[in-house]
Amino acid sequence: MIEQRFKCPQCGNIASFYGNPGEQMTVICTSCGLKGRLTMPMLSQGNGYAIEVSHLKKVYGDLIAVNDISFAVKTGEVFAFLGPNGAGKTTTVEMIESIRQPTAGSITLLGKDIKNGFNDVKERIGILPQEFHSFERLTVKETLVYFSKLYKKRANVDDIIDALDLTAQQNMLYKNLSGGLKQRVGVAISLVNDPEVIFLDEPTTGLDPEARREVWGVIASLRKKGKTVFLTTHYMEEAEFLADHIAVIFKGKIIAEGSLEDLIRQYGKSSVLHIKNCKNSTEVVSMLQQEGFEDVTTEGNGDIAIKIEHKDRVLEILSHLRHECIEYDSIDIRRSNLEEVFLRLTGSKLTEEAA
Amino acid sequence: MNIQIIGMDFVCSVKAWFRSKGGMFWSLAFPVILILLFGAIFSGVGSTKYTLYVQDKDTTTMSQQFISILLKTGVLDIKNLSADVNITAYIKENNIKSAIVLPKGMSDQINRSFIDPTAKVNLSFYFDPSDQTQTQVIRTIIASVIEQLNKELTSRRDVIGLTDISTITENFNFIDFFLPGMIGFTIMQGAIYGSIERNTKYRKDGILRKLLTTPITRTEWILAKMLFMMFLAAITTILITVIGVLVFGMTVNINLLVIITLIATSFLFSGMGMLIGRFVKEEETADTAAGAISFPMMFLAGTFFPLEQMPGFLQTIAHILPLYYVNEALRNAMIYMNQSDALLNAVVVIAFAVVFFLAGVILTKWKED
Repeated sequence: MIEQRFKCPQCGNIASFYGNPGEQMTVICTSCGLKGRLTMPMLSQGNGYAIEVSHLKKVYGDLIAVNDISFAVKTGEVFAFLGPNGAGKTTTVEMIESIRQPTAGSITLLGKDIKNGFNDVKERIGILPQEFHSFERLTVKETLVYFSKLYKKRANVDDIIDALDLTAQQNMLYKNLSGGLKQRVGVAISLVNDPEVIFLDEPTTGLDPEARREVWGVIASLRKKGKTVFLTTHYMEEAEFLADHIAVIFKGKIIAEGSLEDLIRQYGKSSVLHIKNCKNSTEVVSMLQQEGFEDVTTEGNGDIAIKIEHKDRVLEILSHLRHECIEYDSIDIRRSNLEEVFLRLTGSKLTEEAA
Repeated sequence: MNIQIIGMDFVCSVKAWFRSKGGMFWSLAFPVILILLFGAIFSGVGSTKYTLYVQDKDTTTMSQQFISILLKTGVLDIKNLSADVNITAYIKENNIKSAIVLPKGMSDQINRSFIDPTAKVNLSFYFDPSDQTQTQVIRTIIASVIEQLNKELTSRRDVIGLTDISTITENFNFIDFFLPGMIGFTIMQGAIYGSIERNTKYRKDGILRKLLTTPITRTEWILAKMLFMMFLAAITTILITVIGVLVFGMTVNINLLVIITLIATSFLFSGMGMLIGRFVKEEETADTAAGAISFPMMFLAGTFFPLEQMPGFLQTIAHILPLYYVNEALRNAMIYMNQSDALLNAVVVIAFAVVFFLAGVILTKWKED
C-alpha cells in the first residue's frame, strides 16, 4: 500500500489516497466532492522490480565468492536468498547494499544503478546487517530515535515500537535485551525511515524457536504493508514460511529459483508416501514399478518412498499391499519440502552444511 | 554536512558514556586516584633529613669545621659542591631547594676579627621560597649554628653573617611535574581506546556497515566523535586541575595554548587508535596492542618522571614520541609559564596530530573488501 497526495483541480484541496502501486482508482475530493480517476505511481520506476542484479561476480584472490549471478526482486514481495553458510548470501546482499564492491556485474536498486546512485536511494532502503549489535548503552527508544534522525524521511518511532511489540522494553538499555529482542530492535532500526526495500541478513540466526517465530511475525507484517523484503537465511522453514520467491544459492551460484510451489514441483516430489519397515521391499518396489509408479525408491531398512502424482493412487497402493498380504509397520504421506529440494539439488543437506 | 546529525550523535555518546561505569572510572576516577596517590607519596611529608648543598670556597680548617658543625646537628644531609661550580646555574639545573656558600677568605676574616672589630664575613644562603617549610627549617638550623659560633668567637659581635638569596627558578614540586603529564596521558588513553572501539567493535557489530547505508557521512560521524573526545578532554583537564589547585595548592594556568594542545592531542591519539584498529582487527588484540604502545610511551615520554633521570639513549627515544611533546607543551604552558617553549612543543604536537589523524582517516574505511 502506498500513499499518493493529490491536489483537487477544482478547489485546490490536497488529500492523501492509498492504493497499490500502479492501481487505477476513482477518488472523490474530500472538500468539494469532485470525482476523478487517479493512477497510483509505480515504485522502482515502473518496471515492477525493486532490485535487479545482472551477472554479479565477486572474487577474493583464488576464491570466487559469487559467481556470475542474475536475479530480480519484484516490488512488494518477500524474496528469500537461501543457502548454507559460505554460499555467498551475505557477500551478495552486501554488494547490493553498496558495502562491498562487486568484481563485475551491475546492480539496480529502486531504478538506480548503485555504482553512482547509491546515495540517492539511501533514504528509501533499510538494512539489518548480519550479526548486528547496536550501541550498548542506549535504550531501545533512544536507539530508534538516533537512527531515525539520520534520515530526512522518518517514520514515527512510537508507531514502530508499537508495531514490533517493544513497548514494554522501550526504556531498557540495548545491552540488557535478550537475543530475540535485540534482533527485533534490529528490524525496528531498519524501519525508521519507512523504507520501500528492507534487507534482513540472517535475521533469526542464533535465536531460539520462539524468538524466531516472533521475528517471522514481524517480517510477515512488513509484507502485508507492501514492503519489499530481501531476506537471507539458511533456514528452510524460514524461506518456506515467509518467502514469495526463493533463490537457492550454493557455492556462489544460484542453482534454483522460483516460488516454493515452483521449486517443489520442479525439484521435489509433490507428495511422497512412505512405507515403514516393509517386508520383501525389493519385490514390492518392482511390483509398484510394474503398476506404473515411476518414482519408487528404497531407503534402507525396508523403507519405501513413492512419489504420488494424484491422491487416487494412494488407494491403489494400499489395495495392492493388502492384496499381496505385505507386512509393514506404518504408512504416512508427506508433502515434499525445501529440504528435499535442496538435497536433490546439491546432494547434501542444508542443515548439515550450515552447522 | 549536517550539524544536527553531529550534535545528535554527540549527545548520544555523552549519554552512553555517563552510563558506562568502566568508562567513567578510567577517564575520571583513575587519574584522580593516581594524582592523589603520587602527590602524597612524592610530596616528601614525614622526611626527617633535609638536604643542604654546601659549596666551600674557602677550603680551610675553619670552613671545614663549620661544615662538620652543621653535620653534627643530625638533621641535615650535607652534599658538597666543588668550589668551581657556578652555584646559581647549578641550583637552576638541578632544582635545588637550599644551598649555602662559604666564601673565599672566610677564615681570614674570622681571624682578623680578633684584632679588627670591623672584620666581617657573610655566608650566602640560597633557598627556594616556594618550599617554605623545608627551607625555613634549614635556615633556622644554619642561623643557630652561626649564632653559637659568633658567641664563642667574639662574644656577641656578629662576625659571621647570613645573606639570604631567594632562587626564583623553575623550582617545582613533583606534583607540578606530574599533573600536566597526567592530563596528557588520560586524554591519550581515552582517545586511543575510544577510537579502537569504534574501528573494531563497531565493525564486528555491523554498526559501521549499518551507518554506511544511512545518509550520515563518515566526515559527520568522525566530527561528532571528535566533539565527544573534546568533551572528555575538557572534563579530564578541569577535574585534574581542580584537584591540583584544591588539594595541592598548585598554581595552574590554562590559556589558549593549553586548549589548542589538548585539542591537537585528542586528534593525534584518535588517529593513532584508528591506525591500530586498522591493522589489528580483533578488538581485544587491538586493546592489547594499544597498551603495548601507550604504556611504554607513558614512561619514556617523561609523564611520571623527569627525562633527566633516564639514561641518554632513552632520552633520545623520548624525542621521537608524540606524548613527550604533549607533556612538554602542557608543562610549559600550565606550570612553568614558559609560553615560547610551550608554543614550540605545541607546534610539534599539531604536526603529529595532522599526520596521524589524516593517516587514520585515509587508511580506515567503513566499506568491506
